[in-house]
Amino acid sequence: MHLVVCICQVPDTASVIGFADGTIDRSRVNDVINPYDEYALEEALRQKERLVGSTVTVFTAGPPSSGDILRKALAMGADRAFLVSAEPRDPWQSALLLCRAILSVYPEQLPDLLFCGKQSTDFQSGQVPSMLAELLGIASFSGALSLEATSVGVRAEREIEGGSEFAELRYPVLISAEKGLNIPRKISIKGVMEGRKKPLEVVEGSIEEPPCVILRGIVPLERKKRCSFLTDAGELVELLRHELSLSRAGEH
Amino acid sequence: MNFHSVEQENIEYMNRFLVFLEQRQGVVKQASIEAWKSVQELAARSGGAVISALLPGPADTSRLEELMGGDGVVCHADDEAFRLYTPEGYVHLVMERMAGEGCSALFFADSALARDLAPRLSVRLRASLLSGRLSLSAAGEVAGCTRHVYAASAEATFVPARPISITLLSSGSRASSAIPGGTITIKPHALCGASVDGFSQLAHRIVMRRDARDVAEAGIVVAGGRGMGSEKGFALLDELAELLGGAVGASRAAVDAGWRPHASQIGQTGKSVAPALYIACGISGAIQHLAGIGSAGMVVAINTDMHAPVFDVADYGIVGDVGQVLPRLNDAVREFLKKK
Ligand SMILES: Cc1cc2nc3c(=O)[nH]c(=O)nc-3n(C[C@H](O)[C@H](O)[C@H](O)COP(=O)(O)OP(=O)(O)OC[C@H]3O[C@@H](n4cnc5c(N)ncnc54)[C@H](O)[C@@H]3O)c2cc1C
Repeated sequence: MHLVVCICQVPDTASVIGFADGTIDRSRVNDVINPYDEYALEEALRQKERLVGSTVTVFTAGPPSSGDILRKALAMGADRAFLVSAEPRDPWQSALLLCRAILSVYPEQLPDLLFCGKQSTDFQSGQVPSMLAELLGIASFSGALSLEATSVGVRAEREIEGGSEFAELRYPVLISAEKGLNIPRKISIKGVMEGRKKPLEVVEGSIEEPPCVILRGIVPLERKKRCSFLTDAGELVELLRHELSLSRAGEH
Repeated sequence: MNFHSVEQENIEYMNRFLVFLEQRQGVVKQASIEAWKSVQELAARSGGAVISALLPGPADTSRLEELMGGDGVVCHADDEAFRLYTPEGYVHLVMERMAGEGCSALFFADSALARDLAPRLSVRLRASLLSGRLSLSAAGEVAGCTRHVYAASAEATFVPARPISITLLSSGSRASSAIPGGTITIKPHALCGASVDGFSQLAHRIVMRRDARDVAEAGIVVAGGRGMGSEKGFALLDELAELLGGAVGASRAAVDAGWRPHASQIGQTGKSVAPALYIACGISGAIQHLAGIGSAGMVVAINTDMHAPVFDVADYGIVGDVGQVLPRLNDAVREFLKKK
């Protein structure tokens, strides 16, 4: 079985984002694999281990520095990696770059199972997976919380507001991974050594189409509030009168 | 850029909006009705756009006019085939409506369905896909969408570059005022396309939880963290949420410990919530957790550690053990509600 995973780099979630002149100052951020993509990669590796002879190929569309996350993916157990060297400016451009790269690596037949993370933790658009599936003309299922591969396709579950949705889809299918799908493995020293020997190809990603969405501005948010400390729960209820009455009103 | 301004001059094309109404088990979702109202408000401000809605699947439409307000036509595709969401069926339907009405803007209430469907539609329609709160220009026209990024440490505004746009309205972008009553016409939508070819769906079903209150939709969220001590410790929060008609959320530590379901996790790898009141109990306030409450109104924290970072983003704080503070709080709330 051919398995493909699309990953991206994001600032480490613990790093404090700096701002300079109305844009993000990336000089102090440390980039990591997008956490949701780790669930995607782990799931692909589990499928590979289940079906002998399978391969896991990882793609990323990003600046040359995103080679680091590909090395990590190889160290986790992926077989080969492609860096589509480009600076996509919106999710649509990312999806387009990934689509073209996948089609060029698999010109005859699409891989059976493709994985993405549900969304990136920096911009949280969550648009690339469904866009990519649409561009490839295949089925997809976003936000999978559980997954079972069968001989013809997959059974997957996702959370919807107030419940769960279950679907069974035929290959080829693209799955986007939600937290809870699995617990990603840690990278071992042996994995790192082996990962260094695996093929990592850089391909030029060119894109003529202008982006569909433009980032007009970004401003830091002041989250700090002045906390009034109270000692008594009764006092709190008095102070929350307004909010508490709203709640019950909304009920009816 | 050139191409950008040329296409936006097509005014006639601009003033037709389509609102997607999502039904779940035959009931039109409140969030969709809120989206409809926001679009009505928007249209009133930008000078008389024509608004229509699309409702896929069998649903009870008897009270729709009263609930929705405003003017417009609701196309009801009540075919059994649309009861459950399938990307191919719904894409087909929306494409037909968008083309049939010559719409330039499509609006959804943000939901699991919308997040799955809208990116596909944006590719088909070559549309700009935005999400968040509508941001308005000085003249009151929609300039784009604003939402939190980077763990809610910043707010970004995105603007469409294409003549057609799709917008996922977050719950924070509700209509501010009541929408005056008007005339809503409900008419059946007859599929004119040929067959709705499924890619590959073999089976499909949904299962609703008995307590269907979702943290992402609740007006009050009471959340617990590792400081709740155990799965049992959450009983106090279940009780409080029940009293308040709210939902119970959790930190990742509480979810990973197996005390609460993933669906209740709030934060960067969980949900973003926008309640009017958020009560954090035994939660330290890690940056990844705070990422999920950037749109919360009033924030209250209860924690034994007076230096816990959660107090930095709280309006009110009680330094104390949840095991002692919560029973008293629940009693006080009960008292308050009784008096009301
Ligand atoms: C990539 C990544 C993504 C993440 N995503 C998320 C996410 O989406 N959501 C999330 O929540 N976290 C997330 N985290 C984890 C986050 O960093 C914290 O570890 C987590 O939020 C801590 O949960 P907590 O506050 O419940 O536990 P702790 O940090 O252990 O805090 C427990 C708090 O309870 C207090 N306490 C203890 N006993 C009592 C008592 N009896 N009464 C009152 N207070 C008490 C303590 O003083 C302490 O402040 C993520 C981490 C990473 C690396």
